Formats: sequence, structure tokens, C-alpha cells
Amino acid sequence: MNLVTVLLIIGLLMIFAGCWCLMRTYHLLKITIGIEVAMKAVTLFLVLAGRISGSLALSETFVITVMVAEAIVAVVGTGTAVGLFRKYGSMDVRNLKQLKG
Amino acid sequence: MTILSICAHGFVYCPILVVLIYNLFNHEFARKHFIWFAGAGATWQILTSAAGFFVLHQSGQNGYAFGALWDPGLPGSAYFELSGPRFLLLLIVGLVAFVSVLVAHHTVDFNRSSYTNLLMILVLGMNGMLLVTDLFSLYVFMEVTGLCCFIMIAMFRSRADLEGSFKYLILSELSSIFILTAVAFLMMKTGSLRYTDLAGLGSRISAGSGRLEDVLFYAALVLLISGFAIKTGVVPFHSWLPDAYQSADTAVSILLSGAVNKVAGVYGLIVVMELFGDVAPVGKSLAAVGIVSIIIGALLAVRQPHYKRVVAYSSVSQMGYILLALSTGTTLGLVAALAHIFSHTAFKSTLFTNAAALQEQAGTLELQDLGGLENQMPVTAFTSIIAFLSTAGIPPTAGFWSKILIILALWQAGSPVLAAVALIAGILSSAYLIRLQRTVFFGQTRPELAGVKEAHGSVLTAEILLTVITLGLGLLYPYILMLLHAGGIL
Repeated sequence: MNLVTVLLIIGLLMIFAGCWCLMRTYHLLKITIGIEVAMKAVTLFLVLAGRISGSLALSETFVITVMVAEAIVAVVGTGTAVGLFRKYGSMDVRNLKQLKG
Repeated sequence: MTILSICAHGFVYCPILVVLIYNLFNHEFARKHFIWFAGAGATWQILTSAAGFFVLHQSGQNGYAFGALWDPGLPGSAYFELSGPRFLLLLIVGLVAFVSVLVAHHTVDFNRSSYTNLLMILVLGMNGMLLVTDLFSLYVFMEVTGLCCFIMIAMFRSRADLEGSFKYLILSELSSIFILTAVAFLMMKTGSLRYTDLAGLGSRISAGSGRLEDVLFYAALVLLISGFAIKTGVVPFHSWLPDAYQSADTAVSILLSGAVNKVAGVYGLIVVMELFGDVAPVGKSLAAVGIVSIIIGALLAVRQPHYKRVVAYSSVSQMGYILLALSTGTTLGLVAALAHIFSHTAFKSTLFTNAAALQEQAGTLELQDLGGLENQMPVTAFTSIIAFLSTAGIPPTAGFWSKILIILALWQAGSPVLAAVALIAGILSSAYLIRLQRTVFFGQTRPELAGVKEAHGSVLTAEILLTVITLGLGLLYPYILMLLHAGGIL
């Protein structure tokens, strides 16, 4: 097994861990963290892509842009979670039953 | 400076300029007069997209490349490009923003400054998505669009708003992860993400070779399609859509259904079809998702208890038609998809504007509390009927012609079964629409709704404007079909 395959497998495991976190936890912040873990795996893939195709400079700029974007997403997601905490007094996702049809 | 370059740069600079100027004024003045600033931005967008289209058409060029602050000819630099089909989507963005501002004048009160700023950044994000020429910039502008939507839904801070926004955020980020992973996989293969470098990549890949990069290419296609399908809100991925549309303020719902899920979702799929349409499974999977979406969306719409939820599920169903048209991969298919995008924008914005009128006048959108409003709200009832006719595809409305085009495109591409299913599913859409019209407008007036009056001011203007567009396009479509015939497309 070469380095590329190992890194690919690690990345896929991280995405799987993130999605597992999305499905199995009921805590708003843990769900946000799950998303962040999966996003980190994606930045790993982008670095790997730069290494394989030989355009490492391009992939570095991509990774930095993705970091900025995901930081803003994390801020908005946590902000919404805090707003929900103020309304319900808990971070449990099972409280969210306003919208049904 | 030519007219074309002014139009082109305006799509990028005008929203930023509006935000900068708007924030110079003091808060109270800005809150009172927000309609002029946001309206000016939207009007500029409508005028320049129409003017730009005619100038480009006259000059006979295919596209116009430009950079925001740099020379687009520099080697390796990212650049913007204006071309034919993008103009229609830019026009839709402008039109929807305009209608949303008219509605927000009545529905949004304390958050008007935030609304105006976010609306302009949202328009910037969508313009960016339509103008860029590489997949990574597409992702960046998609993230800008998405973030503005999350904040706009959660802005009013009720329990339902925050819940709808959080659900949308989680699923939308999942789609971002899918799309970025696909981008990384494609970059492993090519080392560049420009559309010109990616186009035709499918023909250089052999399916059965078993090499890692070829396997990753197919994985990338799956991820791209599911990512953009989440953003579009078609059936296996639709769970966020009714929640987000129902919880958002009506002015924001108009933006979401009219522009955001078309630009962030369907336009992404148009790009995927343009780049990788020659790989056969791409078209087939779009057709499968489309047909499932048409039927299940319509069936779910029949039993919803809330006006906006019915309209939201109807959106799911209509997106299915657009995907079905795209899946053919022909020029006629693309034209049909764009035509249906436009008529869907017109009739779905009418329905949401009517929702704003009902919410303002009757105070509720729960279907069990509404009934018999036909005599008190004659204009709203009439515009709603026209929108329903257009949704169900009955002449003389715009929806009829765009559905005819979709069925013709499917027939021409050699799938008469899909065409027949699309035709029959129209009956299902009439079912939920007749139910909605009957419960809200027809029948006995409820005693507690006796004092309800017709909508007034800008909401009424928006209703009439959109109905004129639906009917006018319906009457003008034969000319458009003649133009298509003369161009050799039909």
C-alpha cells in the first residue's frame, strides 16, 4: 500500500465518522462537530489531489479558502444552536418538533 | 467601456455597492426606506441582464469573458464568463429579488436592515455561481448563497425559524462535503478544475479499467449529482425543503423557492450535464431522480396541513420535471428545462405572494382555519387560480408551454414512457392544487374570517405583476416556439 491509498482510506474513515456522528448523536453541538470532522477529511482530499496532479500551490489556496468557508458555517451553526438552547433550555435535537406535516 | 462590460461588471459590483451605500445612512432612515435601495439593486439586475443578452446576441459572440479586477487572459487565472443560458437565470435572480423586496415591505419589520444587506449578498452569491468558470469557485459562491439563506431563515428567532434553519444548514453542509470531495477526486485526475479542462473527461475514461483514478472519477460523478440534488431538494433528499420554506418569513420563502434552489441546485446539475453529459449513467440517474420526485412530491403535497408546506412539496414535484428535461442531454431538453425554470419562478412566486397576503389579512396559514375567502379577496383568489392552472400545465399559461416542451424533448430523446408518465403526473398536481384552492378560497366563509379584506399596496402589485408575466408568456409562447423552430432546435 502506498501513501496515496493510506491517505484515501483515512479520509474516507473521517467522513464516515462525521456522518456517524450526524446520525447517532442528539446534541446540537456534537452534530456541528460531526460536520466539521467530515469537512477536515475533505481538505485532506484536496491536499492529496494537489500532490497527485502536481499542482500543490493550487490545492493549498483551495484548502485555505475551504477553511474560511467552514469556519463561517461553524459560527452560523453554533449561533443557531445557541438560539435553540435559549428557547428550549437544552441542546437536545429531539426537542425540534415544531415543523411536522 | 462598452455596454456589455458595464452590464457584466454590474453583476459583481452592483450588489456590493448597494450594501456599502445602504450602510452609510443612519439606522432609522435605512429601515424606513429599505425598499428603494434593495429595489434599485434588483431593478438594475433585471435591466442589465435583458440589455446584456440583446447586446451579446447582436454582436454574434458566444460568450463574454471578464475578470473582476484582473485581465481574464492571464494564464491560469480564474475568470467570469457571460453566455446565453446564464442570462435567463440572472434575469430570474433579479425578478425574484424584486418580488421579495415588494413582499418584505409588508412582512419584514424590525429586521429590514439585515434583510437588505443579506439579500444583496445573496444576489452577489447567486450571480457569482452563474458567472464563474471553474468548479471550485462554484463551490465558494454556493457557500456564500447558502450562508445568507441560513441567516435569513433564522433571523426572526422564533422556535420554528431556528429549527428550519438548523435542518437546512446540516443537509446543505452535507451537500457541500459531497461536492468538495467530488472536486478533489476530479482534481486528482486533471490537476485543473476549469470547465474547459473538465469537459469531455468522460470520453477519456474507460469504465472497466479498474484503475484507482477511473473509479474515483465515477465516485465523483455520484457525489456531484447527489450534492446538487440535495441543494435542489428532489425526493430522496427533500426532507429539509418543506421545513425551511414553512419556517422562513414569506419574503425569504420566495427567494428560496424562486431563485436559490434553482441557481444553487438545478444550475449545478446543468453544469454537470454540460461537462459529463456524454457519460450515459449521468442522464439516466437524473431521469430516475426526476420521475420519483414528480410522483412522490405530488402525493405528499396532497395531505399537508399548512399552505406553505403544500406549495413546498409542489416545488419538489416541479423540480422533478426540470430534472427530467435536463436528463435528455439535448439542446431542446436544456431549452425546456430553462423554460420550466422560468414559468416555475413565476407561478411559485405568485403562490408564495398569496401566502403573504393570506398571512397578513387572515393571520394564519393553517388550512383548517381558512375557508371561503373568494369574495373578500377576489384578486388573490384569481391570481391563485392562474398560478394553479400554470402549475398543472393548462393553457393559456406559461406552465402549459414549458411542460409541452419537456414532453417533446423526452419524446425526441427516445423515451416515450417517461413522456407519458410526465403527462399523467399532471393529474396528480391538479389534485393537490384543487384541494388547496377549495379549502382556502371556495365554499362557505368562516364566521371568524368575515372581516378579512383584500391585500393592498406592494403585495397586491407583486401578485398582479407575476400573474401578468404568467399569462403574457403563455400568450407569447407561440412566437418563442417559432424562434426555436427557426433556430433549428425544435
